[in-house]
Amino acid sequence: MLLPPLVMAAIVYACEITILSIGFTMTYLTAKIPNFAHGTYAGYGIYVNYTISKILGLNPYISFPVAFLVGGSIGVVVYMLVIGVLTRMGSGAIVLTISTIAIDIFLTALLYIYAYWLRDTFKTYTIFFILKERDFQLGGTPGIFFVALTICIVTVVLLHTFLTKTRLGVSMRAVAEDPELASVLGIDVYRTQLYSWFLTGGLAALAGAMYPMWFQSHPAAGSFIITSIMAGSLLGGMESVYGAIVGGFGVGLSEILLTNRLQATFGIWVGEYRPLIPMFFLIAVLLIQPRGLQGAYEWLTKSKRGIELLSKLGIKVE
Amino acid sequence: MLAVIGSSVAAITGMSRLIVDIAMYFGLFVIVAMALNFQYGNAGIPNFGCAVQVIVGGFTVSGITLRLAYWLVEKAGVKLLPYQTAYDWLYNSQLNVVAVNNYLKTHPLLGISLLLFSIATAMVLGAIIGWVISVPAIRLRATYLMITLITMADASQIFGRNIPYICGGTLGIWIPNVFAWYPGDRGVITAVVTLAIGLICFFIFRTMLNSPYGRLMRAIRENEVTCQSVGKNVVGIRRNILMFASAITAIPGVMTAYYYSYVVDAMYQRAYWTYWSWLMLILGGPGNNAGTFLGCALVIAMRRVIIVYKWFFDKILFFPISYFEQILLGLLLIVVMIFRPDGLIPEKLLYIPGVNYTKLVRERVKVDWRTAPKMRLAGKRRRFPLKFWRR
Repeated sequence: MLLPPLVMAAIVYACEITILSIGFTMTYLTAKIPNFAHGTYAGYGIYVNYTISKILGLNPYISFPVAFLVGGSIGVVVYMLVIGVLTRMGSGAIVLTISTIAIDIFLTALLYIYAYWLRDTFKTYTIFFILKERDFQLGGTPGIFFVALTICIVTVVLLHTFLTKTRLGVSMRAVAEDPELASVLGIDVYRTQLYSWFLTGGLAALAGAMYPMWFQSHPAAGSFIITSIMAGSLLGGMESVYGAIVGGFGVGLSEILLTNRLQATFGIWVGEYRPLIPMFFLIAVLLIQPRGLQGAYEWLTKSKRGIELLSKLGIKVE
Repeated sequence: MLAVIGSSVAAITGMSRLIVDIAMYFGLFVIVAMALNFQYGNAGIPNFGCAVQVIVGGFTVSGITLRLAYWLVEKAGVKLLPYQTAYDWLYNSQLNVVAVNNYLKTHPLLGISLLLFSIATAMVLGAIIGWVISVPAIRLRATYLMITLITMADASQIFGRNIPYICGGTLGIWIPNVFAWYPGDRGVITAVVTLAIGLICFFIFRTMLNSPYGRLMRAIRENEVTCQSVGKNVVGIRRNILMFASAITAIPGVMTAYYYSYVVDAMYQRAYWTYWSWLMLILGGPGNNAGTFLGCALVIAMRRVIIVYKWFFDKILFFPISYFEQILLGLLLIVVMIFRPDGLIPEKLLYIPGVNYTKLVRERVKVDWRTAPKMRLAGKRRRFPLKFWRR
């Protein structure tokens, strides 16, 4: 054992929330709406993993690229059939957000029906399950710990390279900034949007495929963690992917470690209130600094009082 | 109808029971949907926290009115089992409620005053919740507000589940029958009272929407900056609307508790109260009450029939029918949004006696659809491009 199991669980969970928060923020940047169905893509990742590892009996890590493709195609279908149509019809942000809630309900119910179908056909437990025993061990440590950390870091590095170096990534950022100006410059806005929805859906399902390797999963597990995802992305400021990395990791870590610490202090009953921790983050961020960590960073480095505060602490800003 | 109202307890079975059930649910949801129409359809405030206000109504009955009823009945000389600690509060609830019901059978005035008290308290608490919501609503963007309200509904459910003093935790708590004096069926009288409250709410909303205040609300919905520039207090008006609508929304929570004679937090799920009410509003068409009525009636009839005939579907399907119901909810919402963005009954021009608005609004105004919440041009409807896969 490398670390206490609780800390490892917190890190695995934080990695998943980080990847999901990145996708959520990217959707918010490109479509200007919070995508409530984002957590449900993760639910599809969970069931891709379940189908491949338990029903087909293969190595669970084979399911990760498959989950990426499945999640990406769900994202593309959602954009082509609903979000894109509504955007072109000129619906407002509220109607678009309601449509994502409708998609969330629809996709969750579909996943439940799939799970019941699996139960009926293969006569196994499909609603509540955990795939920890299918994991490999590396020196007594479950492999998913290393895999989750690696995937998280590689995703962040690749995404940074993609968004700053490649032509598609730069055009994606341009579309997020101003779609009309981007189309004037010759960027195919529709196709770029499709790519970005593929990327976010795929990343979400990839994070979902990691979920049953450590935590108990069920079809609605994805839509239950949407609060944590939103808290992570809001903590990061909703306007920058880099903020979402810090915010998602922070919320994911604190959700497990803080619950444990509070349970040690106040008693075991505090565990029931675990969903309140991301909500607390959400409301605190919205009331104190609605632009999140990104806003706080800009306030520190750009405003007069922030620079004064920094110089008092002995930090110099160029 | 009169036969159903005047019937005895045993007479309400089968089809009549289904009709009473549909009428009750129609009464409950039409109040929520009308309040939502008042907020979103006419004032442009996207309130995604209906479940919070409804749950406050339910908790008022279980936490406040129930204690008051116990106290009053004990004062009158009826012996009750202890109910002070959490354990006694839960496990003596059923026997205590039976004793209270026996007392209420001979004292109709107490029953009616308990009902009125719980409605009044729920309205006050709902208005307070509305004020609490309005504080961030003024500062935040609409989408941020939506996130906050949806999580607030979950949070209130968690509190209800884990604090037994509010509504008995996961076990739930029994509620005395305030209509014990009524000789016929309890469901019938509850449904009639709920429909009467709905009718009163409808007249209040209609009067408010046709008053100068209602026109001001629509003006704020259309263009906030213009209203500010002519000296209207937009923030204050929004706060008042939220508080008033929240107070009305708390009433269905109270009536649900009396209909079931039971309160548990799972009765007030956000998927149930928020999403279905929004579907009714969008299906019927935001902005007019007729559309709200139509959408509410359609959705409620469909849902109740599906639930009542669950035994039939469960025989032929391999999954619980409730998931099919959710699929229907999601699909209906999306299809209505794409093919009928104005709902089944689009919003009409305001009717004011003596003013010919159709003549006044002849001039076509260019509106930026990206920012405008809804199409506002009279007589023209957006067409859905059938070949949407081709740009």
